[in-house]
Amino acid sequence: MIKAGQIDKGTALLIKGQPFVCIEREFVNPGKGSAFVRLKLKSPATGQVLSETMKSQDNAEDITVEDKDLQYLYNDGENFYFQNTETFDQIDVPMKSFPDYEYFMKEGETYRATFWEDQVLDITIPSKIVFTVAEAEEAVKGDTVQGATKYVTTETGLRVRVPIFIKQGEKIRVNTETKEYLERVNS
Amino acid sequence: MYNFEAARKRSELLMNIKQYFIGKDYLEVSTPTLSPYLIPEPTIKAFSTRFINEFTGSKELYLIPSPEIFMKKLLAAGSGSIFQISQCFRNSEQLGDVHNPEFTMLEYYTVGADEKDSIAITEDMIRQTALKGISPSWLNEKPLVITMSEAMMKYASVDMDKAENIEYLRKEAVRLGLEPGVDESWDDTFNRIFLTYTEPSLPKDREVYLTEYPDKIACLAKNEKGRPVKKRWEMYIAGIEIANCYDEETDKAETERYFREEEERMHEMRVGTEDVIPLCDPAFPSLSIPQSSGGAMGLDRLLAVHLGLNCIEPLLLFPLSDMLRP
Repeated sequence: MIKAGQIDKGTALLIKGQPFVCIEREFVNPGKGSAFVRLKLKSPATGQVLSETMKSQDNAEDITVEDKDLQYLYNDGENFYFQNTETFDQIDVPMKSFPDYEYFMKEGETYRATFWEDQVLDITIPSKIVFTVAEAEEAVKGDTVQGATKYVTTETGLRVRVPIFIKQGEKIRVNTETKEYLERVNS
Repeated sequence: MYNFEAARKRSELLMNIKQYFIGKDYLEVSTPTLSPYLIPEPTIKAFSTRFINEFTGSKELYLIPSPEIFMKKLLAAGSGSIFQISQCFRNSEQLGDVHNPEFTMLEYYTVGADEKDSIAITEDMIRQTALKGISPSWLNEKPLVITMSEAMMKYASVDMDKAENIEYLRKEAVRLGLEPGVDESWDDTFNRIFLTYTEPSLPKDREVYLTEYPDKIACLAKNEKGRPVKKRWEMYIAGIEIANCYDEETDKAETERYFREEEERMHEMRVGTEDVIPLCDPAFPSLSIPQSSGGAMGLDRLLAVHLGLNCIEPLLLFPLSDMLRP
């Protein structure tokens, strides 16, 4: 058991028998009231997000988790397939549990995953990733408005809004939380 | 690395606010941030430090959570309407989002006014002091004034007329899927519902003045005559709590009772914890406070909503979380 006030981003909890991972935590002190915490909890099994408000002195059931390194192999539209780099066991994870991760993970690369028993609760991806531009729209001729943008597609299939000077084959850094372009990377 | 553009905006906003109040004949005052006593507030945690002096003996001092204690002494001494912008300190605050343990507060007292007058004053002040060339969409909307009882009915279907009864309130909390503790106080069960359903549902596209707080939540605001509500409001912009305001309690017996009960509650909550139990000012309840309305506004938060942000850290040159980072 832990106090709700000690729950942080990434803390794994058991709620009505189901594992959830805290994805957002905010302290709230209502005017003249005790301290509360507002939590957003995600179920890795279903992708469902719960909002909970608890008194910081309330008890919550935390669970012990373990980190393992997984090499990303591929996906088939329904599951991601990984290989445990130590045991070489193959592991599949429903794609709906980690929406958009197909755009962020690159085949052959290794990612840190958080396990509870046999279940993957979390996969850590960097907050910024460098992608190669696989396809870029031609900038519209005569479009010289400052700050003009266009869409490009990365080698993983992610569509990103970028400044018009970005060309096919160039590398760009993207914020994985907002899916926004950050900068051009000179290789 | 330092956001000088934000520093410029802060300077402009603070200057506008000072000019606004001075233009309305409020006296700008400057009162201590370091004090030997505070007002008992069990839910606000204080910082303490030690004054060392070989002649008078050393003494515990506290960083003020708000300048209220000193400003009310001035009101009682006949200052007339006053305001100040000062640094305030609250311990155990979260680092980040809309919190920093040290923050900038505007406190303004209008003599002869009540909390309803303060809505008009606050609305006007916010508009007159807005940043040049920046017009966030909430500023162009008419503010919403809604009572707590209307908001609890609208967003949680809880009838505040019946909610005086803790059994009813507890049943409502359970109906809403919450888990109130069996020996939980009325305030805590109320806040569970309020924070889960009501506060997050308040409109975010305009200023919201949430009025008539239940009188079961103790504070130094007057009671509405014949009804179990306080003449108090809290104001939200973009879902962020920006200000609170009272029709200030002037009855000495009521203030005395508040001091006694809240000091006791503070001791109950804090004995055996790391939290500071500050000395409370014994002379405070006997102050003759004139009819007045006092507002307190978080200026870091006001600046954030003017700039369309939902956090204050980018606006602080030295957020505590940065300084504490290893």
